[in-house]
Amino acid sequence: MSGEREEHNQGIKKDGTPYKVLLVDDSVFIRKQLAQILTSEGYEIVGQANDGVEGVDLYKKLAPNVDMVTMDITMPNLDGISALEQILAFDKKAKIIMITALGKEELVRKSLMIGAKNYIVKPLDRNKVLDRIISALTK
Amino acid sequence: MRVEYVNPFVESAIQVLSSTVSEYVKREELFLRPKMCPAMGVTVIVGLAGQISGRVIIDMSRETGLKIASTMNDETLTEYDELVVSTITELANMITGKAVTWLTELGFQFDITPPALFIGDNIQISGNNVEVMVVPIELPQGRLEISIGIKEK
Repeated sequence: MSGEREEHNQGIKKDGTPYKVLLVDDSVFIRKQLAQILTSEGYEIVGQANDGVEGVDLYKKLAPNVDMVTMDITMPNLDGISALEQILAFDKKAKIIMITALGKEELVRKSLMIGAKNYIVKPLDRNKVLDRIISALTK
Repeated sequence: MRVEYVNPFVESAIQVLSSTVSEYVKREELFLRPKMCPAMGVTVIVGLAGQISGRVIIDMSRETGLKIASTMNDETLTEYDELVVSTITELANMITGKAVTWLTELGFQFDITPPALFIGDNIQISGNNVEVMVVPIELPQGRLEISIGIKEK
């Protein structure tokens, strides 16, 4: 169980530079929440995409300067699982964490089988988000 | 309509609203909805399809929607922009998603459609000959009505 966090530098690497995160989610609200949580810990948001197509394109443009991708599962145009597959086909070392509402357990299992590093269930809880992200980054 | 379909949506709504909007959430007595009923101003509709089918409607006034979105974003929001629409849609997603998980655990197999949000003064919601139960919920931000209309195949 997570306790209160006293330090706010989880998002800073040992060399002093921030972990770079790409947010892929069709919900402005969720992107805003994630950005607030992550930047408060020193992470840098290097890009935001509104659907899977934009997410894959943006990852290809930004790589290798992306340490982590947060990927919504249910999105228009290209869903999160297909985007996960395409990013991993481009970069098998990509670290991708899935974001989902409850009720999509089968899709979460599928994502993890394909190669997602972890998952986060909405509503977003700050401590759980940070725990899952750092766990995925250090896997 | 069996009450075991209704309770997961009500309990889910109370849990999600308690954790994201306000600790003060008061459920009022449920009632049956007439076949045609005017919407309150902001309406989110989620479809259910599979072993059971129907829809869940979350209805609120424009003012209540803005207040809920403001609380969830921790800032004062005054118009229905992309952020407000996204916030209310996401709230509906969280409520229905949790309920679906519980219903799936009870053995019902079905899927939900992405929430569709409507804003307007003269929208009417048709019951479509499906019995609809309405659960009013009071929050400090205002009143929500959750309508559940489900039929078994």
